[in-house]
Amino acid sequence: MQRSPSSYPIIWRVMDVLETTFAAVWPKGGGKFTPYLMLTPAIVLVGTLVVGLLYIGDSSLRVLDRSTFLFSDYWTLDNYIRALSEPFIFTVVWRSLLGAVIVTIVTLMLAFPYAYIMVRTPSSFVRKFLLIALFLPFFIGQVVRAYGWLIILGNQGIVNDVLGLVGVEPLRLLFNYPAVLFGLVQYMLPFGVLMLAPALTAIPEEIEAASGSLGASWVKTMTHIVLPMAKPGLIGAGLVVLTLSLTDFAMPAILGGGTQDFIANAIYDQFFRTSDQGFGSTLALLLIALGSILVGIIFAVFGAGTLALDGSRK
Amino acid sequence: MPIDKTFNRRQLLKTTATVGAAGVFVASAPSILRAAEPDKPSEIIVRAWGGPWVEALKNGVSDRFTAETGIRVIHDLTEDNEIQPKVWAAVAQGRTPPIHINWDTTTNATKSALRGVCEDLSDLSNIPGTTDLAKPVGVDGYPIVNTYGYVYVLAYRPSAFPDGPPKSYHDLLDPKFKGRLAFYNDGIGFHFPAQVAGGGSLDGIPDAMDPAWEFITKMKDQNPLLGEDPDFVTWFQNGEIDAACTISTNALGAKKNGVDIAWTVPDEGAKFDTDGLWIPKGHSEGDLYWSKAYINSALTKESQQIWLDGLGLPGVVPGLTPPPGMAGDPAYPTKPEDFERLIRISGQIQVENESDWFSKFKTIMQG
Amino acid sequence: MNTNAIPAQTPAVSASNVAMQFSDLMAVKDANFELENGRFLTILGPSGSGKTTLLRMIAGFLKPTQGQIFINGKEVNAVAPNKRSVGMVFQKLALFPHMTAAQNVAFPLKMRRFDAKKIPARVLEFLNLVRLDGLENRRMNELSGGQQQRVAIARALVFEPDLLLLDEPLAALDRKLREEMQLEFRRIQKELGVTTINVTHDQREALVVSDQIIVMDNGEIQQDASPTQMYRTPHNPFVANFIGVTNLFDGKLMSASAEGAEVHVGDLTLSGILRSSSDASVLGSQARCAVRAEQIRIAAAPDALGTLDLTFQGVVKDVIFEGERLLYELSVPELGDEPVRIFHHDQNDFATHDVGETVHIGWMNRDLHIFVAS
Repeated sequence: MQRSPSSYPIIWRVMDVLETTFAAVWPKGGGKFTPYLMLTPAIVLVGTLVVGLLYIGDSSLRVLDRSTFLFSDYWTLDNYIRALSEPFIFTVVWRSLLGAVIVTIVTLMLAFPYAYIMVRTPSSFVRKFLLIALFLPFFIGQVVRAYGWLIILGNQGIVNDVLGLVGVEPLRLLFNYPAVLFGLVQYMLPFGVLMLAPALTAIPEEIEAASGSLGASWVKTMTHIVLPMAKPGLIGAGLVVLTLSLTDFAMPAILGGGTQDFIANAIYDQFFRTSDQGFGSTLALLLIALGSILVGIIFAVFGAGTLALDGSRK
Repeated sequence: MPIDKTFNRRQLLKTTATVGAAGVFVASAPSILRAAEPDKPSEIIVRAWGGPWVEALKNGVSDRFTAETGIRVIHDLTEDNEIQPKVWAAVAQGRTPPIHINWDTTTNATKSALRGVCEDLSDLSNIPGTTDLAKPVGVDGYPIVNTYGYVYVLAYRPSAFPDGPPKSYHDLLDPKFKGRLAFYNDGIGFHFPAQVAGGGSLDGIPDAMDPAWEFITKMKDQNPLLGEDPDFVTWFQNGEIDAACTISTNALGAKKNGVDIAWTVPDEGAKFDTDGLWIPKGHSEGDLYWSKAYINSALTKESQQIWLDGLGLPGVVPGLTPPPGMAGDPAYPTKPEDFERLIRISGQIQVENESDWFSKFKTIMQG
Repeated sequence: MNTNAIPAQTPAVSASNVAMQFSDLMAVKDANFELENGRFLTILGPSGSGKTTLLRMIAGFLKPTQGQIFINGKEVNAVAPNKRSVGMVFQKLALFPHMTAAQNVAFPLKMRRFDAKKIPARVLEFLNLVRLDGLENRRMNELSGGQQQRVAIARALVFEPDLLLLDEPLAALDRKLREEMQLEFRRIQKELGVTTINVTHDQREALVVSDQIIVMDNGEIQQDASPTQMYRTPHNPFVANFIGVTNLFDGKLMSASAEGAEVHVGDLTLSGILRSSSDASVLGSQARCAVRAEQIRIAAAPDALGTLDLTFQGVVKDVIFEGERLLYELSVPELGDEPVRIFHHDQNDFATHDVGETVHIGWMNRDLHIFVAS
């Protein structure tokens, strides 16, 4: 059976080129280390991030002299003391944290049934419809979507127009905390669904049928079988939504009406409004620490194995 | 910073055409240019605000400069507060800065001046012909040349004020304006009138500003919206707000879009501020020379007239004709008595304290 | 189990004109059968024959598009799976990976609201029944394939269902383990006396474990009989061919009576027993003869064959050693182009015929089944 060379998978050709290049560069061969060569781009990328972090760390230890707008040539913890003592920063951190947790919970609650129906529906039409409905806003982008909500929820927006028909005075639906959270949930929903769908696909339908035949009602099958088995997906989706919400900038900026700053907005102000890169760096590190602690807590509570990172699993 | 992106471009072109037709172009090469001229660069880069702003600058200054010198002018539309760290970094590292000229708020430019990254512009030949407004307050010499001023007016919707324009910021504490007011999200433009409204004195800035914070705390109970320049126009247009402390240009923009809107300077006064042009250090002698020539040309009466007709703002050379409808407007101060009700605080005091003021304002408003 | 007041004549399961249609596919057509209490039924058929669909209708996962299914005399068409007293062992076992063996087995008891105090003892009892004592705290990925099978059986039986359904759970096992588990199923089923329906495509498994076999093909029940009846008196060529290794010859029906029939195959006349009850048993119509591989005798000399009704000469084309027996493939020109397959079990005669050797074969007329094409 003769096959034309072009019928080889393209990835084989890529690997051939890589191997040839490697052999030319290092004729002796790298032995068992050769496969790790593939990690080079990732290591370079992470390395760059680390270097950036070192710079930010250095900046965070220098205070701005507002009579010369130069940073101190010595290190000091003043920025950290300021970050921990300024009530505004506490307000913003608490608002971001609480918001991220609420958004995560609500998003997961909405994403789960969405993903479940998308994965389980026997109708390919319904599945395609759900996928398109999911991806369309994905392509539109966060800022445009936020402006869309301004139009829909504004005092002269569609929602208030409809309320006006039944005699309700225009309501201020925008520029408050719920509006920001609402916008975030809508923004995060596709992330949640996309992270959950593979986890749900991995649960055989036969398992649910088995649960039913063993006497479990639909609700009990969900709570006792599907939810526990979907845990890796729920944790993964939760992590993504939590960290993205915690660090979000656009929704608080646009839907918050300037009254609902999250940490990222406070950082932006320090870097670009008051020219204080030192304090801005401090807040940035604070945000990184906060995110890392949250992820750490989740791993500690649920275990890294819930993400199927546990090598011992078959 | 500023302002709205909704300037009427057609209006601008019309004005330009009129001026052009009048044939008012006078070659005004300053005397320093006639001395030994260094080599011309092929182009210079001017950072500008986009939309109608850059359009006005191009018509009033850049195109005329190119016609006169043959040097192409590139407009870099990077945000002012985002170019600042790049310029600072370039100067600190001894690199050539990414721009030749920064069109900047005087407050931001003052930070750069204090940091020592601005070239001195004192020897520009057209400076003697300018008003006091051109001179930056609180810094030595001319690291920046102010090119026009603007007022943080109290803009309002006349239908919401049937008894006439609001006379004072106290009028806004009426419960019917709950949720119907707007300020800048860092409070800029409102700190100083609030100091007066709270019973304090302007001399108390920056050391005794409790009256301002007390008044702002009262204002917080009105649940105002907080935004940036483009937000004010949108909010007025969409009927979200009845009154706002904002730059007059935003109110003008909303008015040009057909919103019924007026503005006033209340009893407490209104913050007056300026924008200017400056040159970052680190350019070659020739580039510096021709960049200075650009700023010098921006200070001619002809350039100012066209540029500021586009912006609707008062310039820094005497004898300009106000844009239609702006003569005598509180947002277009020209005479000394016009300035009496305006609050002008030195750039140095502002830059040294604004970070604290912003933070304090946000603490109150978002607490 | 289930020694309740059901009258003896009421079948444990019965189907009446049951059909299942998926959009344009008729998966099951007009199925009728009855299964007595405590008996072991195997539904046997190739893949796509509709056997799994029929089982899933009995389990309640599918609702018949036509006809009725009865369990203990009650129509259950509209009864949800979790309301039926049916235990099921799934093809891929469908064990819960996030639970231990004991938790898996306890699950149906909890869901069916058994007395919580009695659950642990009951779970241990059934784990003992399937010989998993001591492994109750293992998770599924810590158990071997056979052990997982046993958990699945225990889980399906622990709540003492009226009916046990087996959906080809042994298909994925290797042959030795499969045969071991077949006997295990049989043992447990006998021990508990639970009515069982098993689905498989493995005819050997069907013969080994069942009291009753239903052969399905193409959505239709081909024959419903005991294993011995199924083997000895197949109703049609499909059944004859599906169970055991069978040689088929096509010809024309020449005579038919209760004692026997004659078919012309090529120039030969074959005598045998008419298995088809078709009305089309008209002389001269198309007929098919079937004779099983083990019912053909083979020998080097004609006199070594013993008394046979019909003998031929053939040439050995291939010899396949299958351990307990040999499979010969012969070319017999008189019987057409298809090779004739013969099983040979005579230990003393092993490997006496080589490829290319001319041999003599023959069979008894009573072993030739004749089917008339309908």
